[in-house]
Amino acid sequence: MADTVHLLAVFSDLEPAADAIDQLRALGLSDNDINTISGVPVTEAMLGRPAAWSNVPRIAFGGAILGMSAAAFLVFIAPHWYPYPIQVGTQAYVPGPPSFVLFFELTMLGMLLSTFLGVFLESYFPNYRPMNYVKEASDGKIAVFFTCPSESKDKFTKTMNALGAEKVEVAEVEQL
Amino acid sequence: MTYDKKEKKVVHAEHHAHGDDHFREKHLMLDPLPRGQMNDMVMESMTEPPTWKFWLVFGILSVIVAYGLFYSWARLIIEGVGIAGVNRPSYWGIFLVNTVFWIGISHAGTFISAILRVFRAEFRRPFTRAAELMTTFGLVQAGFSIFMHLGRVWLFYWLLPYPNERMLWPNMHSPLSWDLIAITTYLLSSTMYLFLPLIPDLAMARDKSTGWRKIFYRTLALGFRGTEGEWAHLRNAMNIFAWAIIPVMFSVHTIVSWDFAAATRPGWNSTIFGPYFIVGALHSGMGAVIVVLAIIRATMKNMKYFIRPEHFDAIGKLMLVISMGWAYFFFNDYMVQWYGGDKWTKQLLHFHEGGPLGWMWFAMLICNIAIPWAVLWNPKWRSIPWLVSMVGIFINVGMWLERYIIIPISLTINRMPFTWRMYTPGIEIPLGIGTLAFFCLLYMAASKLIPLIPVWEVQEGQMAHKLTKYGRETVVTVSELE
Amino acid sequence: MATVSDLKITELKLSEAEGGKWGMVIDQDICTGCQACVAACAMENNIPFVGDEDSGYGRSMHWIRIERFWEGEYPEVKMTPNQPMLCQQCGSATCEPVCPAFATVHSQAEQLNLQVYNRCVGTRYCANNCPYQVRSFNWRDYQRPEPLPNQFNPDVTVRRRGVMEKCTFCIQRIHKAQDKAKSEGREVVDGEFTAACAQACPANAITFGRIDDPESLVSQLSKQAHGVKHLEELGTFPHITYFKGG
Repeated sequence: MADTVHLLAVFSDLEPAADAIDQLRALGLSDNDINTISGVPVTEAMLGRPAAWSNVPRIAFGGAILGMSAAAFLVFIAPHWYPYPIQVGTQAYVPGPPSFVLFFELTMLGMLLSTFLGVFLESYFPNYRPMNYVKEASDGKIAVFFTCPSESKDKFTKTMNALGAEKVEVAEVEQL
Repeated sequence: MTYDKKEKKVVHAEHHAHGDDHFREKHLMLDPLPRGQMNDMVMESMTEPPTWKFWLVFGILSVIVAYGLFYSWARLIIEGVGIAGVNRPSYWGIFLVNTVFWIGISHAGTFISAILRVFRAEFRRPFTRAAELMTTFGLVQAGFSIFMHLGRVWLFYWLLPYPNERMLWPNMHSPLSWDLIAITTYLLSSTMYLFLPLIPDLAMARDKSTGWRKIFYRTLALGFRGTEGEWAHLRNAMNIFAWAIIPVMFSVHTIVSWDFAAATRPGWNSTIFGPYFIVGALHSGMGAVIVVLAIIRATMKNMKYFIRPEHFDAIGKLMLVISMGWAYFFFNDYMVQWYGGDKWTKQLLHFHEGGPLGWMWFAMLICNIAIPWAVLWNPKWRSIPWLVSMVGIFINVGMWLERYIIIPISLTINRMPFTWRMYTPGIEIPLGIGTLAFFCLLYMAASKLIPLIPVWEVQEGQMAHKLTKYGRETVVTVSELE
Repeated sequence: MATVSDLKITELKLSEAEGGKWGMVIDQDICTGCQACVAACAMENNIPFVGDEDSGYGRSMHWIRIERFWEGEYPEVKMTPNQPMLCQQCGSATCEPVCPAFATVHSQAEQLNLQVYNRCVGTRYCANNCPYQVRSFNWRDYQRPEPLPNQFNPDVTVRRRGVMEKCTFCIQRIHKAQDKAKSEGREVVDGEFTAACAQACPANAITFGRIDDPESLVSQLSKQAHGVKHLEELGTFPHITYFKGG
């Protein structure tokens, strides 16, 4: 796709950024061509963007099941590997209430570990390659990235400036 | 009388005239600064070269850690637990007291960053991270303390579930096994919960720093840019964490309490120990948070903007409520034990109050109930950082004494009067001071390495707060942005 | 719905724990408090000598101890019978489930509480949870001056620091007797062997043997009306019967 160009427009307020995204859509860009970068969790709804899809809850659910299986293993299967049945006190080989404790803890551990892992998987962390970025984002600015046809670069730049963009330039990958 | 009324009216009118300023001065959330400026303030507080005082304290703490923690622990391992004061019948001593104490301290972080997040208590925003750091570092000390306690600590891995040549798995009947799993779960999840909201701040620090710090923050920020997707995943994960870590936190201290409650000992075998310990943990945890906040506010640059008297007021209120809760559970436990009339329990209760260490029992009640109630009822007093942090220190002393009473003092009395014997701490004391020094040391180092204030959370809060006029009155309104 | 048969099941379980195989009867009325059992036990089981300092601090390591009590204030002091206290080999032991490392478990063959020294990591939970306070912990590696090392019993493991230990009912003697009987194709006869403490007792205050054998001396004695079991109300089902004021 040699005939497209990545542009970025930096806004300091929500309103113009949302307007800009509307305008980009009006100019024929699809939502997939647009992305935003911000230093606060600006929700997609605030910018009129479709909700981002996140698999984190699903990964967390999977982890919970894994954790529960680990508990089931420790409770029901591991004791069969003892060289002989080990009895303590007059408690049953598979004790009821203690097993419940184990199930709870390991389910939670599995869920939370996989939630954490989910963020890494979903966001492709850690990622130290050069990427499109605007440092001002961490100072509260909202950066709108978009891909537009090369020939209409000037038109897009002008539109963005008209909407109050602080700067509009060709996005270049940089080492973060 | 009339004069008084007049005076009051004047003040009232004045208050209205300067309404907005008054709010701004009082509430961080209504006193927004540009994000860039807040970033710079946090970066400055973190990167300014430490003063000689910092290095002096750092040096002293390092010496204490080297002697109290590492040298003494090495001696303990080489010479045996005999150099500690534990004996028959007090087989558990200060090591376990410290373990419970540090786990208690660690509850504050989760309480503030999870429970207050779930309930959208807005005052939490500037100090969630300061509290979460306490959780992680406190749990590290709890881990140290419990491992010091082991007779053969070099075999600690026998307590972990893994397939081994001994063909054994840990005994899941034992409360200690549940403990190990619960504390591990809590340590891992609270560390992850500390790290997730830290990523955006690390990215901010990466953008604002140079040299080795740049490399450090770049590595830790994992390439976070703040795209919609990244925020969505982070928000989802933090939401899951905030909800799920609450039952984990409750379970941890309940299981710690079961170490005692499940045993067949007078004074321990109590069904109320679970909630009693949780409230106790929150009590000492909140007390510790307020001390840490007062120190941060007094010693670090720009922190007076982020941490204000309103925060001490809010935490002070919580401390008061928790202190009442603690008193309720304490009395509940005491009353039922007293009424039960078991002869050994009776003997034990008498020993608590009238034994040679009876002063501890009364000091506990003064520190945990009398002092907090006497100070914290007054909104003015509880907004004074040094005063509330003094109360916080008293509460921590009181809670430590409570654990001391529950563990070695209660162990002194058992059903075999022939074995009754007092416990005198030995090498536990340097080791205990060592864990305290190590906690402070870790915290000091962290304050220079990671942004203590979650800037993006503060900004998010400031975006959500507004002053609205209802008729003549100006009130604070909060919008739910999340 | 609870039925009568359910109740029976509970009863059955309790009696299982109650039964046991090896038992002991201690007659406090004839015990002179001479400490011969304490010395014999220490010799038999390679128990270290902790020295006077540690001993004075409550760290004496005896698997059996003579508890002496008195009533009244000086000078009107009246001694009560001495009370030898050792592991009661509970049928439902509170020390067992609390060990995270399975270092103290129930032997189904011998109906004893075993202590597996090599599994112990030294959490000391079992000792806290023992209502009889009869467990000893190796607080240090205690030195044995010459020529004491020559006195080690080769049948008993030597323990190192950081390990819990307790009375085993001289399980090494039990096994020896069983092996001998097996090689001769017979059962162990009552009185064929006894525990070290019982053997050493000059007053014959300690009787050891099979309590599941109705003919044995110990089981006959233990059925006497004035026999008591210590802290029976805790449901530990101790296997030692005490006679006092008979």
